[in-house]
Amino acid sequence: MQTFAYERPTTLAEAVALLERHGPDARPLAGGTDLVIGLRDRSVSPAVVVDLKRVAELCSDIRAADGCLVIGARTVMTDVIADERVRRHFPALAEAANVVGSIQIRNRATVAGNICNGSPAADTTPPLLVYGAVVVVAGPAGSRRIPIDDFVVGPGVTDLRRGELVTAIELPLPTAHQGSAYTRLTRRRGTDLASVTLCVSVDEAGVTRLAYGSVGPRAFLVTDESGVLADPAASAEAKATVLDGLFAAASPSPRSLRAGPEYRRAMLRVLGARALQTAVERLAKG
Amino acid sequence: MTTMPSSLPIELTVNGRRRSIEVEVNHTLLDVLRDDLGLAGTKECCDVGECGACTVEVDGRAVNSCLMLAVEADGAAVTTVEGLATDGRLSLLQDEFLAKGAVQCGFCIPGQLMAAHALLAGNAHPSVADVHEALAGNLCRCAGYEQITEAVLAAAAAEAER
Amino acid sequence: MSSHGSGIGASPKRVGGYDRVTGQHAYVADVRLADALHAKLVTVPVARARIIAIDTSAALAVPGVRCVLTAADLPQPVPRFGPQHEDRPVIAVGETKYHGDPVAAVAAETKDAAEEAAGLVRIEYEELPAVFTVAAALAPDAPLVQDPVLRPGDPLASTNVFNQHLVGWGDVEAAEADLVVEHDYSFPMVTHFAIEPHGFIAAPDGDGIAVWSSIQHPNWLQKVLARILGLPLSKVRVRAPDPGGGFGGKQHAKYEPLVAFLALRTGRPVRLVLTLDETFQAVRRAAAAIHVRTGLRSDGRIAFQDIRADYLVGAYVDIADRVVNKGSYPGAGPYGIPAVRIVARTVLSHTVPSTAFRGFGNPQVNWAVESNLDDAARQLGLDPLELRLRNLAHRGDAFIPFDTHADGDWEQTVRRAAELIGWDSPVPPGHGRGIALGIKSGPTTGLSYSTVRLLADGSVIVYAGTSDMGQGARTVLAQIAAQELGAPLDWVTVVMGDTAVVPYDQQTSASRSTVLMGNSVLRACRDVQRQLAEMAARVHGVALEQVSVADGFVRLPDRELPIVEVLKAGLGRLGGEVIGNGVMRKEMEPEHPLGGSAAFFEFNCTAVEVTVDEGTGEITIVRHVTVSDVGRAINPLQVRMQDEGAAIMGLGHTLMEHYIFDEAGRIRNLGAIDYRVPTSLDLPVRLESAIVENADGPGPYGSKGMSEGALLCVAPAVAAAVRDATGAVIRDLPLSPERVWHALQERPARVPLEVP
Repeated sequence: MQTFAYERPTTLAEAVALLERHGPDARPLAGGTDLVIGLRDRSVSPAVVVDLKRVAELCSDIRAADGCLVIGARTVMTDVIADERVRRHFPALAEAANVVGSIQIRNRATVAGNICNGSPAADTTPPLLVYGAVVVVAGPAGSRRIPIDDFVVGPGVTDLRRGELVTAIELPLPTAHQGSAYTRLTRRRGTDLASVTLCVSVDEAGVTRLAYGSVGPRAFLVTDESGVLADPAASAEAKATVLDGLFAAASPSPRSLRAGPEYRRAMLRVLGARALQTAVERLAKG
Repeated sequence: MTTMPSSLPIELTVNGRRRSIEVEVNHTLLDVLRDDLGLAGTKECCDVGECGACTVEVDGRAVNSCLMLAVEADGAAVTTVEGLATDGRLSLLQDEFLAKGAVQCGFCIPGQLMAAHALLAGNAHPSVADVHEALAGNLCRCAGYEQITEAVLAAAAAEAER
Repeated sequence: MSSHGSGIGASPKRVGGYDRVTGQHAYVADVRLADALHAKLVTVPVARARIIAIDTSAALAVPGVRCVLTAADLPQPVPRFGPQHEDRPVIAVGETKYHGDPVAAVAAETKDAAEEAAGLVRIEYEELPAVFTVAAALAPDAPLVQDPVLRPGDPLASTNVFNQHLVGWGDVEAAEADLVVEHDYSFPMVTHFAIEPHGFIAAPDGDGIAVWSSIQHPNWLQKVLARILGLPLSKVRVRAPDPGGGFGGKQHAKYEPLVAFLALRTGRPVRLVLTLDETFQAVRRAAAAIHVRTGLRSDGRIAFQDIRADYLVGAYVDIADRVVNKGSYPGAGPYGIPAVRIVARTVLSHTVPSTAFRGFGNPQVNWAVESNLDDAARQLGLDPLELRLRNLAHRGDAFIPFDTHADGDWEQTVRRAAELIGWDSPVPPGHGRGIALGIKSGPTTGLSYSTVRLLADGSVIVYAGTSDMGQGARTVLAQIAAQELGAPLDWVTVVMGDTAVVPYDQQTSASRSTVLMGNSVLRACRDVQRQLAEMAARVHGVALEQVSVADGFVRLPDRELPIVEVLKAGLGRLGGEVIGNGVMRKEMEPEHPLGGSAAFFEFNCTAVEVTVDEGTGEITIVRHVTVSDVGRAINPLQVRMQDEGAAIMGLGHTLMEHYIFDEAGRIRNLGAIDYRVPTSLDLPVRLESAIVENADGPGPYGSKGMSEGALLCVAPAVAAAVRDATGAVIRDLPLSPERVWHALQERPARVPLEVP
């Protein structure tokens, strides 16, 4: 593997200072399941790797606070999946976390790392978008709270500025009753990178929030307030028409190894309808 | 430019034994187990966390040692395939792998065993689906998946009887 | 001893299994030599390029680098090698031929230094026009893959067709048929993906060289190295630790000559362990484009098969031309057909050299031919099973007129598969069923020597040059020796993989070892038994003809003694041992199209039941039944493991595996992230493996080889089931969800299959 310097700060201030000092030459290390691959294949070549796992202020647990669930920057997928509160209030996030790689990966990979890596196919991004997550970051200028929709920018690109790092992800507890589901398309049933990711939630008021990824430079969040999608009595055709409109931002790459654009677009409709169905059923079940 | 050293001292417990070693910061836990600690039972194949041949337990959880820098294991308790048998006596799991015919070429087996070991530590009565899920990150190209699954279930049953 | 028993037909625990579950088994990468250097290959990021200049100065300046080797550092002309055609240079000479063809190699004190230096070797090159598909390779103005100079006297030398194989009988043109079914099929490039990447170590060894390799044919490698290095065989010691999976990909020399030159040049041991990505650039299966024209009579009898198969092999021939020849040869299947014509071409391309891979060229043509038969059955309104039974060869039939006659009761196998899948029961709504047959010629020649030493305490050492790459040869050979010499199984040691110690064996391939090496070991045991009989006659004062030895016992006129008792008495106070030798030879038959008739046929019937997600195209294999005719299962558990393993490997190329290239011939999906193979979550919901045993094989106790059969007909069975379930017709692999989905959109209106 290429050479790099390794830093293991123990305070947030130290971590921020290191990241600020080295700027783009530094790479933060959380679970490492993406970074170490990049270090080995040289798709990233940082001078310094800043290991965040000893930073005292960064948590690896999930806490309830101020109407939110707060996922620590070091919280791994396995712990997200196992958390009863996540499963109850944010089931689609648990579903998404549960298909990130294998158990070995999920035991190391963090949710924060998943969104910072900036892959358009990141599994946890669509549910975080649907659930209105807020990314809390710390940096040289202090702390910022960034809505996930603003945090996610493009392939490998986030809203993080020089010296900033994610300290937590806040999930506002739903105030209205809702049903949600995550689904995705892969080439095999076993662990795989998704060709389409999709999360949907419907609430009592008939509002449908839908996020889809892996079909463009980033995952997109769209909303249907017409009530058609959430209406169990609406026809499949009517829902399909609304869904097609929501998927307008999809621009699947013809160069993808995983699936062609025509198929991906078609699968958005299929998965969209299916996830919606599940979400509506979950809403009805309560 | 940074003046950080290219190697760092770490302390870790490997198969119950405390080890203090100096590791290169760009070496993975897999590199260090195989090359520095002489524990070649852990295997290297894909280097991207897809095949599971390098699976070890770190603080009780199965991980891909190819995706973990050795320095990240500072202070950790690591169990490798060499740590499963006691005084040359095979564990129930190892025994069932042999009895059920789970071992063919054997190259994936250390990883399969460690993933299965971690599963059974947290789930004493796994279903077939649980086993398939727990071992989905461990490729077997001889494709002894049916026998591996049978072995894990048999080990769970045997453990329950003990 | 295990509780399973260890006799013939029992399934004792695998010999060598203990070391594998404890992590103690040393695969080649686990072999540590003091003072070893680490090697790394240097390649260019295109398929075909003219090498203009190589600047090694920056690489040599990396601390710890001991050597950067290029073609200029080798004997000139640079030695070439290959099992069929000596076309592969030790390292690229003047031009790279495929993405991954090494241009230079670095040897350094550490892996890190070697890797860093490899990245600093500056190669100035010019990308050249190249061909990556059958169509491009056969185009009239296609750039030539091989320099015609390497093909003297070859009329095809100015084309990319390396060879053309014609086999047939009867008159296809004159054959009369009521229905002709004619289609094109394709089979993708896939790779072995053994979980153990290939590894090579070479070390100067006195006045010779020692080479460790995860190779299936150590004796063949020894010959290659001796010739290239100008050494007598006795000075080339090949050590072949049991490979971590071979599947054919480790049969022939790859980078051993290169590593040997590095070792000789540096005077140090040198090790090169490939990354998984590099193994994708070292071995693969030939892709194929196949055109099948099947003529049938209205009663379902096949009137003729007219098959054209173009196999896309790589830039160097390796064993690929043999794969094409032998794989296409039984292409018409296990049927009695009056007229057959098979034309198979070995088409060179600027891609990774294809090599042997489980099934050895059969799965490609079988995919096409069995799919065509399914199509024919539908058009005739005949049950696809019935169509096959009406044509199936019976024992003794000369179904390939100039080859071994049908050597099994194959109908039994087919009926067993049909029974297990419940072929006659109604298909559940939304499900579909498919069935296919597969046949493969076993080894056509063979030469296996073995030595068996019966030690003074009755324990046994078997020396056999077979490679145990997972198929379990160690266990089977130990079972044979234990059975014959009366030793407990755990008193038998099998020594393999060292050309300085173990007698010659031609190769481990074609599912031959139980039959050929098994017979050799059986003969060596019989040689020991003969000496024991002499011993018993002498010790007990009886005539030799009154003594017989079998199954671990010496039978005298008045009693029966365990071998060990006779042995101890016979050896006397000085002790010693009894040494037996065995040879199993299957001679060449020069007039035969393959150079020899089949030692046996592998015969398999696979039946599957599927459901298809009409929305996404995803296939679920609800049931997968594989039945193989194995003659006699010496170790039924190992037979099941091999059979299921072949079936699941077959599901890989059927459902998900394929190389993806870019315009420059680079493999875009190198490695484990975007080349998908089956995981534990991709298994059939139910997988059943059954066997037919009539003790009618040429191997010990009536055994046959069986490790490839279950792979041969997975694809046509699954595609037929998909068609049965949905009406979608697919003639290209893999049957990925995307491909199935497209086929669902394009499918013709459903015509229900009517079985009269």
